[in-house]
Order: sequence, then structure tokens, then C-alpha cells
Amino acid sequence: MTSPRSWLVYLGLVVGAVITLAPFSLGLLTSVTSASQFATGSPLSWPDPPTLENYSGLAGFGFGRALVVTALMTAVILVGQLTFSVLAAYAFARLEFPGRDTLFWVYIATLMVPATVTVVPLYLMMAQLGLRNTFWALVLPFVFGSPYAIFLLREHFRAIPRDLERAARIDGANTLDVLVHVVLPSSRPILVTLALITVVTQWNSFMWPLVITSGSQWRVLTVATAGLQSQYNAQWTLVMAATTIAIVPLLVLFLAFQRHITRSIVVTGLK
Amino acid sequence: MSRPRFSTWFALGVVAVLVCLLATAVWLGRETSPAGRTVLTLRLWDQQVAAAYRESLDAFTAANPDIEVRVDVVAYAGYFDSLRTDVAGGSADDIFWISNAYFAGYADSGRLLPIAPSPDWEPAVVDQFTRDQTLWGVPQLTDAGIALYYNAELLAQAGVDPADLDGLQWGTPGDSLRPLAMRLTVDAQGRRAGEPGFDPGRIRQWGYNAANDLQGIYLNFIGSAGGTFSADDRFTFDNPQAATAFDYLVALINTDHAAPPAAATNDNGDFSRNQFLAGRMALFQSGTYNLANVAQAPFEWGVAMLPRGPAGRVSVTNGIVAAGNSATKHPEATRRVLAWLGSTEGNSYLGAGGAAIPAVRSAQRVYHDYWAGRGVDVGPFFDVLDGPHLSAPGGTGFAAGFTALKPYFDEMFLGRLPVPRALQQAQEAANTAAAR
Repeated sequence: MTSPRSWLVYLGLVVGAVITLAPFSLGLLTSVTSASQFATGSPLSWPDPPTLENYSGLAGFGFGRALVVTALMTAVILVGQLTFSVLAAYAFARLEFPGRDTLFWVYIATLMVPATVTVVPLYLMMAQLGLRNTFWALVLPFVFGSPYAIFLLREHFRAIPRDLERAARIDGANTLDVLVHVVLPSSRPILVTLALITVVTQWNSFMWPLVITSGSQWRVLTVATAGLQSQYNAQWTLVMAATTIAIVPLLVLFLAFQRHITRSIVVTGLK
Repeated sequence: MSRPRFSTWFALGVVAVLVCLLATAVWLGRETSPAGRTVLTLRLWDQQVAAAYRESLDAFTAANPDIEVRVDVVAYAGYFDSLRTDVAGGSADDIFWISNAYFAGYADSGRLLPIAPSPDWEPAVVDQFTRDQTLWGVPQLTDAGIALYYNAELLAQAGVDPADLDGLQWGTPGDSLRPLAMRLTVDAQGRRAGEPGFDPGRIRQWGYNAANDLQGIYLNFIGSAGGTFSADDRFTFDNPQAATAFDYLVALINTDHAAPPAAATNDNGDFSRNQFLAGRMALFQSGTYNLANVAQAPFEWGVAMLPRGPAGRVSVTNGIVAAGNSATKHPEATRRVLAWLGSTEGNSYLGAGGAAIPAVRSAQRVYHDYWAGRGVDVGPFFDVLDGPHLSAPGGTGFAAGFTALKPYFDEMFLGRLPVPRALQQAQEAANTAAAR
């Protein structure tokens, strides 16, 4: 028999689930409500009839291209971040060279610099290089790894027994072999965690793309969604259709990697 | 020769994936720049008007094959943030829309091309964008004046003749706006505001849209009371006439309950319009910028004149210009495009869909024709400007000052901060912020 305490736990979980899911449900509901019904009826009223006009209307705002640009930007940064962070973290964890630890801590110290502080210098650098409003400006500041990723990976790599690496070396493995055959396979959870963090961060990034790009050529999803609101019209039905589309890839990712996400909370201490 | 190891293939695979992704980016960013043509860009914030501009600029290019103009739409929410960084970085578009609230800083710092005025341009817009005797943009759109949209069915239910609306006045011994707004406000039990038993907590129909709304509401009240909101780059709304106007508005909301509570309207500029469209508001004071929305209303509606105040009927008017970037690499081509945009033919495209009013007077006929064709008389929006009118405020530091005054105005409209104290504190905060 279920104890009263369990009922309370379940009740708490149900309330938590409702609070979490309610905004998404409201967004989905609004996205299939016509603009005229939304303007004249209650925001919580059932769509009558449900319509996909908001989704088709997004095409006129260049939303399809924004989706492609965002996916491409996220993919490039993901591949770059994983590659360069793994190489740097391995160097900091295993390779011996003068000033290694000093360099590492100096690099890690940059974590304390808020991202907003670097926007203006980065903008000026990109403008001077003639890269403003280009794809390169979107990805260059993030593609070469991040202090957080390197710190996380270095700590994990250091926990891998050295004996494993020595055994591989005795078998004739070079550094790249050790990395590919020994280090990476035993780091799968942390790599998935990092990949998820990178994808979510880049998919949702707004400030930097807003500042460094203009026009529709390199507009990303977040900026395109903000652009749906005009001076006198909030266009909430369109905005909700856009956010529903924007959230789908993240939901798919979440469903595919739920186990790893749960584990990543344990590994990184992030919530 | 030994075979490459798996790790080498793995590294090559990663590089190949990266190269493929970057190649896709290069393909996406390919330019289709026509040979022998000067390509200019025009930046604006309105999708609907952008479509009209494309038609206008296609016609321009047909007559001037050496110049192509591309339209770049940037959302209003971030428009002036990105414009500032782009102008500072020297990478702004050749021509860009600018509003009265922001143009002063650009004009003062020499970022805009000076423009020779034309007598065919809307004088109110020319005045708005003239600073130190120089015009800094080609007038493109005007909002005309403010008028009163009414729901004919709700008026009929209350026994009000729409023709009487043109005689409405407030703040005078013959104040007729307040009693009418109260008569048109109905609670869930069908009792009208002011009647015994009226429940202000359960209102099903509002009379009027008094609210913390700069362009649609309080600037017109200040002007009609004989007060000022700003002058010479300073906020000046702490004056007795403006206090009369705000006292009247705040009482309509919090004492008479004839307008939605400020809690609903302070941060939701769409609230009153949506109430009107839902048939839950009888009178909705606004501009032509809401005409296309109101045209979708599922009930009979009309437009009446702005109510008259103690100092007469004074409406705010606003405009938008296309400014030339003084740092453009193609000044001659830019001037040719600006000349086209300021011509009757070039500007008339903007009014053809009825969404915006051309600021070139000889091009406004298309706008009137569009709405006349739909049976709508837009006369009250224009007739109100025959008398004295106010320009939408602007000037150096206006945007910062306006942000600073908002919390005080919010509290004032909520009825939590007395009007005199709110105006005094808000003006001080606004001028301090504007001066930074």
C-alpha cells in the first residue's frame, strides 16, 4: 500500500510537472490560435479552430533561413569546441611542458570575466577584421574551446589511470592513438555533457548574434524571433510558433540523451 | 608502406566534417552582386512597409540600371541598439530609417547627410527632423493625428449617437468625456459605472482607453491642456497644465473605473486594442498605426475626432525619415535613391496597401483611396492636424530619459504616487538620465 508520504511526494512531483509544462503548453496552444482569436478572446481559450497559419506565416519572415544558419553555427561551434577543448585539456592534463599549470590557471581565470564585458572588444576586433555580419564573426569567438570545457575535461582526463595509457604506449600507440583509443572512449559521459551544454548555449545565444549581424543573411533563430515583434504589434501567435519550432531540436536532444543529462548533473554539479 | 592508423582516420574525419560545415557556410553566404552595378542597402524595421519599398526600389532600378538597392529589415526591438553599433563601427547601411526619438544624436555627431527640403513634404515631419536649421532625412511616413475609434454597436446599446462624439470635451465645465466613458463602462451585472451597486472589480466592458500611452493618450491630453512634455532636449512635463491632464487620466482609471486598470496596460501596449477588438471597449483613442488592426474588427466601427481639452483639440503627430549615412561609400548614388524616395512616385508605393501614410503629400492620395475603397473615412486623423499640434518628442538623450521616467509614470497611473510628486520626480530622473 502506498504510504501518505509517497502520496505527498507524488503530489509534489505532479505540481512540479504542471508548473514546468504549463508555459510550454500555453506556447503550443497560442501557436495554433489565429491572431484575431488571440486578440479578441481569452489567452487561455481553446483554439477555434486550430490553425497552422502562424507556422506558415513564419516563412515570410525568413525563419527557414534563420533555422539553417542557427543549425550550422551550432554544428560548427560544437565540432570546434569538442575538438579544441579535448586537445587543450589533454595537453594540460598529461603533457609536460614548462609553465603548463600557470598557463592553465591563467586561462581558467578568464572564467571570471563576464561575457557581456567582452562584447565591445570582440565587436571592434571583428569590425577591424572586416568580419562584421559574416558567418565567421558568429563562430570565431566560440569555436576554439572554452575555459569551462577545458577545465571539466582536464579534471576528467587526470582521473583516467596512467597505466592504461602506458600499456597503450607499450603497444606502439602515439599520442593521437592514446587520445582516440583510450582517453575518448572512457570520457563519453563528459563529452556528451559538454556537447549538450554547447548545443543548448549556442542554439539559444542572442546577444552576440544580435550585435555582430544585421539583416537577414546571418540572422539566427533567437534574433529572428525577437524580430517578429513590430513597433505596434507584439504578434504573440507568431512568436509562439517560432519558439515552438526553436524548442523542438532541444526537446529531441533531451529525449535522446536523457540518461546522459541526468548523469551530467551529477558529473558537473549543474542544475 | 604501412596503412594509416584508425586514429589518423578519426582525426581526418573530424577535419572533413568541419570543412563540410564551413563549405556550407560559404555557400550560404555567396553574394549575387550584379556586375557594373552599385549596390546600396536600406535598413528599416517594418516588414509590411519593406515589401512596399521593394516594389518602389524595383521601379527605381528599372529607371536607373546602374544602382540596385537591397532592403534590410531589422526588428524594432533591437533596431536602435544595432544601428548605434553599426554606425559607430562604420558598417551601417547607406540609407536607414530613423525616428524622432533617436535622430538628434546622429545629426549632432555628423553621421547623417543633410537634405534639402521640398515643399511637397509633410511640414510636421520636416519640422520634427530639422535641427539647427538643417533637415536630416527624407520624410517617408507620417502617422497623421490621433482620433477616436468607436464600437458602433456598444454606442447604440447605450443610446449614444456617434455624431455626438465629435463634440466631446474634457477638463472644462462642460466635460462630456468622463460621463460618457462612465456610461459606456458596464460591470458583469449590467450596471454602468456611477450607478448604485456598480462593481469595479468585475467589469465586462470598458468605456475608454485612458492609459500610460505616450502617443495615443497622454501627449494629446497634455497638448489639449496647453502644457508641454519636452522642449529643447529637456523634459518639461512638470507643469500645471500637464498635471491637469494626468489628474484627469488617473481619475478616469482609478476613481471612475471607466478605463482598464494600469496593472493591465502599463506593460502591455496591446491590451486596450485587444479589448476593443474583442468588443469589450467602446472608445479606443489611437492613431492610424492601429487602423489595419481595427479594420479586422468583427463589428461595426467608425472614427471620430479627438476629444477637445481646456486649450482646444491638440493632437500629437509623428513621422519617419530615410536618413543618408554620411559614411556611405556611394554618396552620389545614395542621394539619387533618397531623391527617388522623396518623390511622389517613389513614396506613393508606401501607402498603396493602406498600412502606412506617405509623408510626401502628393503621394497621400493612394492611402485615402485605399481606405475610401473599404468604406472607412480616415478624415479625423488628418483634420485634427489642421489646428495646433504637437510633434512626437525627441532630442539628445530622449531614449534614456524616457526609460528613466517610466517607473514613476507606472506608479502614477496605478494611483500609488500622487500626480504632482510623480511628475516632479519623473522629470528630475528623466533629465538626469538624458544629460548623461
